[in-house]
Amino acid sequence: MFRKIAVTAVAIAATFSLAACGGSGGSAGTGGSGGGGKQKTIGLAVANQQADFFNQIRQSVEAAAKEQNVKVVVADAKGDSNTQVSQIQDFITQQVDAIIYIPAGATAATVPVRAAKAAHIPIVAVDRNPEGAPGDTFIATDSVAAAKTLGEWVGKQTGGKGQLGVIQGQIGTTPEVARDTGFKDAMTQFPGIKEVARQASQQWAQDEGYQLATDMLQANPSINIFFGRADALALGAAQAVRNAGVKDVTIVGFDGDKAGLEAVKNGTLGATITQPTQGMGKLALESAIKLANGEKLAPEQLQAGVLTTKENVDPFITTHP
Amino acid sequence: MFSQLSARLFSGSGGALLGLIALFVILSFASPFFLTTRNIINILDQVTVLGILSVGATAVIITGGIDLSVGSILGLSTMVLGWLSHQGGWPMWSAMLAAIAVGALAGSINGLGITYANLPPFIATLAMMSIGRGMANLITDGQQIVGYPEWFFNFSSERYLGFFSITLLVVLALYLVAWAWLKYRASGRSIYAIGGGTEVARLAGIHVKKVTIWVYVAAGALAGLGGIVLASRLDSSQPSAGSGYELDVIAAVVIGGASLSGGVGRIGGTVIGVLIIGVLRNGLNLLGVSPFIQQIVIGLVIAIAVMADVLRRKRA
Repeated sequence: MFRKIAVTAVAIAATFSLAACGGSGGSAGTGGSGGGGKQKTIGLAVANQQADFFNQIRQSVEAAAKEQNVKVVVADAKGDSNTQVSQIQDFITQQVDAIIYIPAGATAATVPVRAAKAAHIPIVAVDRNPEGAPGDTFIATDSVAAAKTLGEWVGKQTGGKGQLGVIQGQIGTTPEVARDTGFKDAMTQFPGIKEVARQASQQWAQDEGYQLATDMLQANPSINIFFGRADALALGAAQAVRNAGVKDVTIVGFDGDKAGLEAVKNGTLGATITQPTQGMGKLALESAIKLANGEKLAPEQLQAGVLTTKENVDPFITTHP
Repeated sequence: MFSQLSARLFSGSGGALLGLIALFVILSFASPFFLTTRNIINILDQVTVLGILSVGATAVIITGGIDLSVGSILGLSTMVLGWLSHQGGWPMWSAMLAAIAVGALAGSINGLGITYANLPPFIATLAMMSIGRGMANLITDGQQIVGYPEWFFNFSSERYLGFFSITLLVVLALYLVAWAWLKYRASGRSIYAIGGGTEVARLAGIHVKKVTIWVYVAAGALAGLGGIVLASRLDSSQPSAGSGYELDVIAAVVIGGASLSGGVGRIGGTVIGVLIIGVLRNGLNLLGVSPFIQQIVIGLVIAIAVMADVLRRKRA
């Protein structure tokens, strides 16, 4: 009996120390150098690291933190807001100096912001701002304006005529609503473009885009415009178009993630909106530090999304904005 | 002497209790924030939903069944709660009862499918997992519902005596009732008999179908309760709530020493399983361990816990 207990204990301890090693590996560089002044710790709550958009923001926050000699602890909610509330509680327990909050799930939960405020920890909301309990500052792309620009490009490109299939992101999320609003606004200028199909995805994922677009083409073979609300959805649609053997379809996406930009370069996608993820991550970290130092910031810091086509895509691929 | 004592203490929970203690000790040394009242409160708060679902899953797994639908039923119930209280104008209390009732109803369909349509539990609840999620989305066309009354939010956030939230008290009461029921009530004992073998249980005079249906009804109703607690914790309802929770729940119950082949499992073990998952997640967050490595660690802990349990059974 005793031996078994010992074996279990050792096994668990081993598992644990493995984790501890892995964890400290990332921050070893910053740990040693914080000898003089007190090194600041920023908690970064990521919505879902499986999505390239969020992952890019995380990478840029981490890169900026290295420059500024700030420690960043990362938590990934895997798209679940309940998990995220727990993770932010844990940040508060760790007494981080500020929190960068990228809300997970359809609702940008207010609870994390409320909890942070109760503990007097400043919080930067990124991508979505909780309604009723906004972050101390909010950083996002002005999606409505960007989607409108994208819509106008589509209108010009197609000569204002065509049949449109829309592959939505997760219904009810702020980006989905904003991209819808902006694009629809642009479409009012082009009465010749008819929206003939509209379906929602759950995860903004490429396989969903592929499935939905395949079915849309089955029902409406004359669709010649696809708007995927994220690059992954648009790429899925592009694959569906290729498989269906249809020609001259204009496909546009949104986000400007790496795969999306490559696709714009090789012509698979007509255009996308590049969100300045690197800039947003850097700005988020700088804002967090400023807030931690007691500075006040504007309630909203909206960044412009850039319409990206074959003509201007190259520099974005080498260094993402 | 010591070995005898420890044998008595840990029998049945398969070394899981020891694992929990080991985790606790290691984390207390590894992070200065771990062993604080505030953090203990956090951990208990973080496992309330998992804890509620795991009570039902313990009973289901003891009967030799499995319930994959609890996450979806939770999502459905939380949407019913939000929709009735916001769009329907129902008083909050009746909306809460309705949420539990919808969960119980979904559970009863699981139970009927298993007992009368002879569907394997895996299939019946897999179907309900899909149906429940679809309905959760259908109710509001995928929209979330935000903002409950302050008193409802306080269920999970206001601390009495500096420690107990209403939701935590509900979970504690639930575990007490479930423990007593499994140990002392004839119907509680009979689910072990069903898990041991339905034919033998039937010959022993147990209403196998009736008991099985009620077990799934309970699991469904508890998922409904979980939906309410989650709505209070998040101050909102969203149709994607509870996605993937069924697997966490099964992991917790199995770490607690229950056997997926039925007939074995204890509510005390489930408590430990739930706490291991909760403490592990919390501790790894506090240590700032990369989320990717956290997934690996949790997988290893599940494997180790069950392996230790299997070894123990073989030798016993």
